[in-house]
Amino acid sequence: MTIVYEALAKIGFMFALIMGMVVVLIWMERKGAAYIQDRTGPNRAAILGVRLAGLVHPVADVFKLLFKEDVTPTNRHRALYNLAPWLVMTVALSTYAVIPFGDFLTVAGRRIPLVVADLDVGMLYILAVASLGTYGVVLAGWAANNKFTFLGGLRATAQMISYEINMGLALLGLMLVFGSLRVTDITAGQGALLWGFIPMWGVVVQPLGFLLFITTVYAETNRNPFDLPEGESEIVAGYHLEYSSMKFALFFMAEYAHMVIGAALISTLYFGGYQVPWLPRPALESHAGLLLTGTLIFTLVMSLLIAFAFLRRASRERGKFQDARDREPGLGAGLWLIIGLAAAAGLTRQPWAVGSAGAEVFASLAQVGVFLFKLVFFAWLFIWVRWTLPRFRYDQLMNLGWKVMLPLGVANLLVTALVMAVV
Amino acid sequence: MEQKAIYDLLAGHLGEHAIAWHEGEIEPWAEIAPEGINPACVFLRDDQRLDFNQLMCLSGIDWDGFDEAGKGKSLGILGYTDEGAPEASDRVAEGDFGVVYHLYSHGQRHKFTLRVRVARSVAAVPTVSEVWPTAAWHEREAWDLVGITFTGHADLRRMLLEESWEGHPLRKDYVMPASWEGVPMDGRPYAVNPFPATEPEPKGDSTPPAEA
Amino acid sequence: MSTGELKKGGWADQDHVPGIKSELLELNMGPQHPATHGVLRLLLKTDGEIVYQVTPVLGYLHRCAEKIAEGVNYKQWVVYTDRFDYLAPMCCNHAYVTAVEKLMEVEVPRRAEHLRVVTAELSRIASHLIALATFGLDMGAWTPLLYCFREREEILNLLERISGGRMLYNYMVPGGVRYDVPNDGWVESVLEFITMLENKKIKDYNDLLTYNKIFIERTADVGVIDEATAKAYGCTGPVLRGSGVKFDCRRDDSYSIYDKFDFEIPVGMGEQGTVGDCWDRYIVRVREIEQSCRIIRQALESLPDGSVQAIDLIKPVKVPVGAAYSRTESAKGELGHYIISDGGQTAFRNKVRSPSFCNLQVVEKVGVGQMVSDLVALVGSLDIVLGEIDR
Repeated sequence: MTIVYEALAKIGFMFALIMGMVVVLIWMERKGAAYIQDRTGPNRAAILGVRLAGLVHPVADVFKLLFKEDVTPTNRHRALYNLAPWLVMTVALSTYAVIPFGDFLTVAGRRIPLVVADLDVGMLYILAVASLGTYGVVLAGWAANNKFTFLGGLRATAQMISYEINMGLALLGLMLVFGSLRVTDITAGQGALLWGFIPMWGVVVQPLGFLLFITTVYAETNRNPFDLPEGESEIVAGYHLEYSSMKFALFFMAEYAHMVIGAALISTLYFGGYQVPWLPRPALESHAGLLLTGTLIFTLVMSLLIAFAFLRRASRERGKFQDARDREPGLGAGLWLIIGLAAAAGLTRQPWAVGSAGAEVFASLAQVGVFLFKLVFFAWLFIWVRWTLPRFRYDQLMNLGWKVMLPLGVANLLVTALVMAVV
Repeated sequence: MEQKAIYDLLAGHLGEHAIAWHEGEIEPWAEIAPEGINPACVFLRDDQRLDFNQLMCLSGIDWDGFDEAGKGKSLGILGYTDEGAPEASDRVAEGDFGVVYHLYSHGQRHKFTLRVRVARSVAAVPTVSEVWPTAAWHEREAWDLVGITFTGHADLRRMLLEESWEGHPLRKDYVMPASWEGVPMDGRPYAVNPFPATEPEPKGDSTPPAEA
Repeated sequence: MSTGELKKGGWADQDHVPGIKSELLELNMGPQHPATHGVLRLLLKTDGEIVYQVTPVLGYLHRCAEKIAEGVNYKQWVVYTDRFDYLAPMCCNHAYVTAVEKLMEVEVPRRAEHLRVVTAELSRIASHLIALATFGLDMGAWTPLLYCFREREEILNLLERISGGRMLYNYMVPGGVRYDVPNDGWVESVLEFITMLENKKIKDYNDLLTYNKIFIERTADVGVIDEATAKAYGCTGPVLRGSGVKFDCRRDDSYSIYDKFDFEIPVGMGEQGTVGDCWDRYIVRVREIEQSCRIIRQALESLPDGSVQAIDLIKPVKVPVGAAYSRTESAKGELGHYIISDGGQTAFRNKVRSPSFCNLQVVEKVGVGQMVSDLVALVGSLDIVLGEIDR
């Protein structure tokens, strides 16, 4: 039974992680877009007068979408129309099964690998599930019985099918280098050092493959510059035009879940995943005391600085709004002071002399933290690109996919194979 | 090229269809018979000395009730009465229709104005949309708003109004519609509020509180 | 590919797979559509994504302002011109008062002429900024939209300070302008703004959008309107200039005091593709913003003193009998008014020749044979405004 509980716990962690990331990403997208576009962004929704810099907006969104009327077109294909959003969401969530978010964690003497399913053919699984995602989109486009959604579905199918081939080719190079289809093997392999000083990340050994892969991932997530299936200004909203309420919310969340997958795949396959550069697992464990102390001191200093900034703002903006918003700087200062106090309390417990069990937990947590950091960075990259670039045209997208990326992918594979054979 | 010289060339080409040359106003213009408008436009466009390659504007005009004396006593348009009903008139409209063509030459940098007048009973002018494609929409608009038929036009549908609209609004005898497809046009509200505002029910006893 | 192939026996009428009838897809773009710039409806016949026929359907914003012109006096009708091109109302004001003054033969005070030019050029910049912004948006680039709107906001603030209105100004009247410059440093604010626009903001747009590779891919060689087509279809303004014709009413058929200023007329040169493609029309607008800044600077630096009104502001004007067509260069192209006066206070007929109306017509020809995305680019690059088309 233990193994079932373990699996359930890991699935629960992954699900919570994705859903939490979706909320954070929606916030990041709005705030990021706002800063890129020289405006303030969401700052109105509040709980008890506290706005949390706009973090409340996704929560308000959820409530809005849950209680909205579900308007459905009369001529829809009922079963497929209802199936499509669930399919999209399920597929988006399933890819995570093979992505490791840490090396392992030892609980009660059991060594638990921090991945939901450590498949032998994890890479094939990723490709297979990604291609299933096409179905949700094309069914949504077709079942709604609207010409714009139909065009959106067609575009999505063509785009996803063409770019899956390139994705596969890009990944083949990586598989050759690390000699495995297992995602955990590839991640573990990236902990090594190339020529003794460069982390052997995927991006270092497969730079062209990385460029091809990141492009295909952008295309697979249907985001700018490849957001043709939605093509706001051309086909209105594409395949999810006729969906409203929670069904639309599923598409919406699936887009962000896809972004999280994309970011997770990029960081796992090409940026070492949970690997901390130059600090493999044994080094992490043996230097745990030093690292933990350093982390705590850093947290203490940073939280005190942030709390100080909040306090200055509180004194500067005293009585600015004459309502609950005036409490915000004070609350922020309080929150960061509590974090600083917790760090200080940790320092009093002599973290430099942490035991072996604690060192192991610390190492696992550090790896998960590094993974999350990389994840958030690449998710931000998605947002950055989206708000900077215009959109391709359909035939240009196809040209790029078939005439540029496919030959490059094949060339990359051949060169990699050659190098592997020689070396 | 001088406008008069252009007219002389045109009159030489058209013969009897060139009716008159009106000089002396702010904008001189040539009056052409309706039958002559198409050859005139083809000549004006194709002759190398003239080279009128742009039709700047094409206006349809209802000359009904125009005060020829220039005293500003032209017939007013029919609007709505203060009560909101459409104004009506027994007068039978009689004035001619006119079409005015403003031409420009990018090469020669000169302008020219042509006018055509047709009787109200005829209300048809040959199209020039074959000469300048831009005339197609201008003529559709003139048909839509003034009601001048352009014979030979490939696609003479209404331009700005709905196909089911009755009448041509820019005619001087146009009577404003009271309603169109169930929508009141005379200022009445489109829909009646089914929940009219009523006095709020008095709470509790209706007697005013005793003054303290 | 021409509309001729749509007739019987064309591709779509044949059964390519035995037993399965193939036909063209009828697609209704609008009247509610993100890329039609208002309530324009484009009835498309497409083969998948290839457009075989475009039929613009107009009139969703029709108010028959020309009929209203026959019922109100000349000064009252100025407010209706605001509502034609609501993105550049000062240009429309200017066009109308120029037409009325041409018939009245009234001498407009020099100061009023300068203020007219400055406000009209500010309006033109605002309108071109919207054109760039929405064109970028049509191409899927969101951020330039916000950048351009930020600068447009500045212009609206400036125009609000001089006229009291933010979008609909009713600023010019036959014989002058309504208000003199407010004495709160308005002139300095305008100079400061155009300096900022010239030196910094236009570079921002160019970096972000104009020379973006994807943007060039999407707009170069797309929607090519050659010179002959542009002239035959009566295209004017940036559309005509984008096709390489160096024609601008401000210089070639000068009105107001534009002949006193030194400015250039940018034309499309096919830098990234063919002459007359969408990119050319776009870059013409960018460069026109720079030229408008030059005109504003010259007009403000030589701003004369004196009155801004030649005739009584309150009394209705009487226009001598006559008829005249007066054309001006509005933000979208040649905005003409053909006014027939019977000597009274009300126009007998006031025909408006709006540039967007004529420019849009070219879609019927050029839009055929392209992809839907290209049609969006074409319509976006024509920069139409429906208030002016439907009138």
